[in-house]
Amino acid sequence: MKLLEYEAKDIYRKYGIPVGFGFVISSPDEIDGRIRDFGDEVVVKAQVDVGGRGKAGGVIIAKTADVREESEKMFAKQIKGVPVEKILLEEKLPIEKEYYVSITIDRSRRENVIIFSSEGGVEIEQTARENPDAIRKIWVSPLLHDIPSFMLRNLLGDAPKELAPVINDLYRVFCENDGILVEINPLVTTSKGVFAADGKFIVDDNALYRLGIEVNRDLTERERRAESCGFSYVELSGQIGVIGNGAGLTMSTLDMIEILGGKAANFLDVGGGAGEDRVCSAVKLVAEMPGVKVIIVNLLGGITRCDEVARGIVKAGVSQQVLVRLAGTNEAEGREILNKNGYKMLPTMDDVVSEAVDACKEAAL
Amino acid sequence: MIYGDKKTKVLVQGATGNQGAFHINLMNEYAREVGGFGVVAGVTPGKGGQEVHGVPVYNSVREAMAEHDVTASVLFVPGKVAGDSIMEAAYNGIELVVAITEHIPVHDAMKAIAYAKLNGCSVIGPNCPGTLTPGELKLGIMPAHLSKKGNVGVVSRSGTLTYEVVNELTMKGIGQSSVVGIGGDPVIGQTFVDVVNRFADDGETKAVVLIGEVGGNLEEEGAIAARDAGLSLVTYIAGVSAPPEKRMGHAGAIIAGGEGDAKSKIKRLEALDVTVARKPSDIPVLLREIL
Repeated sequence: MKLLEYEAKDIYRKYGIPVGFGFVISSPDEIDGRIRDFGDEVVVKAQVDVGGRGKAGGVIIAKTADVREESEKMFAKQIKGVPVEKILLEEKLPIEKEYYVSITIDRSRRENVIIFSSEGGVEIEQTARENPDAIRKIWVSPLLHDIPSFMLRNLLGDAPKELAPVINDLYRVFCENDGILVEINPLVTTSKGVFAADGKFIVDDNALYRLGIEVNRDLTERERRAESCGFSYVELSGQIGVIGNGAGLTMSTLDMIEILGGKAANFLDVGGGAGEDRVCSAVKLVAEMPGVKVIIVNLLGGITRCDEVARGIVKAGVSQQVLVRLAGTNEAEGREILNKNGYKMLPTMDDVVSEAVDACKEAAL
Repeated sequence: MIYGDKKTKVLVQGATGNQGAFHINLMNEYAREVGGFGVVAGVTPGKGGQEVHGVPVYNSVREAMAEHDVTASVLFVPGKVAGDSIMEAAYNGIELVVAITEHIPVHDAMKAIAYAKLNGCSVIGPNCPGTLTPGELKLGIMPAHLSKKGNVGVVSRSGTLTYEVVNELTMKGIGQSSVVGIGGDPVIGQTFVDVVNRFADDGETKAVVLIGEVGGNLEEEGAIAARDAGLSLVTYIAGVSAPPEKRMGHAGAIIAGGEGDAKSKIKRLEALDVTVARKPSDIPVLLREIL
């Protein structure tokens, strides 16, 4: 899950990373009496999860005297379609030079990788294209609590060594808070020291429980409901609803729909041990998505009981056509239940997908 | 035989839960069928002294190891404690851990896998179906009846998609030397490269089917290893239609920062002269052409 800038900075602060004076507001009324610690100017930053926020008008520099008015304007805005619910007001730092630092997991090496660039304030992808020599990387074993000093020296090169402790603190933030990606861009040097002028932090969805996060904001309401049923669910925009077991098989079903010229409405992996009730709620959930014309149920497994799956489909009793491919135990019973209730069971994945795509094309004529 | 054979004695960690108990039974049914040892001991802290389908349960790996000379462990413990369980197995000298468990925090997995490696222990998974060597050994949850003994090695990041492919192969009369599900998480122990190298050393394997998906670049590395080892290879990559930044079921199946999408993965594989199947049912056909 992505944290917002102010949430990331709250964590940075706990680890001693300087973030500059500031506070977050949910309405302009919360400003009253709190601005005297700012200098002449204040940075007004919309707290929205949007890439390229600055260019989209989500970050402005205001005269401290005008900050209430500017905040009101910001609250009225939508940044790339996202309404502004919170604003971070921050002191304007006397920036000397901008750097870039991020930490993520290198899947091939199974280690933490720290990426540093002497060109901050621009996207790292752009630096990688235009000036790859500005980028340095180090890999740190997950068994190390701190980054060894020699590695930090290699990482920084000619950059000021004052950056080193901040990068080590950021490494601890990353390791101790289940980071998937942590990024400071720009990390700045000023006459008052080093500061994290921005903060990005994505945390591991599998570790939200120990970070005290109850609701994964990255999910839509229906995606959250699916998650509480134990499904993996992603909403797409086509007409063919898809229910499968296992991520790979479900993805592969989606791919075949695309290859045959159809469009999937969703990805739904019911997980292991798909019983009657789980299948029933999965079918209902997919059927309630707007635009779904036909639903594919593609389940394969040694332990999936086809009769239970069939009963679940019948119980859901949705209005859309449901095409079923089942392989597992009690296949014959499952087929009988489905046929008796007017559902069609097809032998292979290729069959079920091509029939669903054809059904959609016919409906469009 | 790449991760064990009939003589491999197996431990199950998380033996008394629904999943653990269910699969101890299935693994031992298979062991009886092929004349192997199968699961000889289970571990669940606090449940020592119980039995699960005739298998004695101990409080710790150490207690179990005092009574049984197991070399492999299959993990069915919850995600929150799985990292700890992997380290417990490795610390006590177990050589191979098959981590079936899903939803392990990635930092836990990364630490446990690194720690296991220091102790000479290999980890398959997490979030995987395990491995099956037809006629020899089943470690994990793969449905054994779909499989048939032969000379094609199958390695995959997926579970059910692997069964789909194995089923297709068996129906077309193509048997398998071993089938390995390496897991759908971003950080996994045994990679495509590790498994391909085991296939290369295994006298039984003549060709390899590599089933990958979006996210990361482990498939390309595996393909290069197969080429270097002189193994024939057919690949399939799931997720051609997957949108970026969305996690497609597997935590590892995410296209992030413009990397790991299926189309560019397929392009890179084709640049290596690797055969890429468009859909699972094409795999047996392509395999026949190269064998």
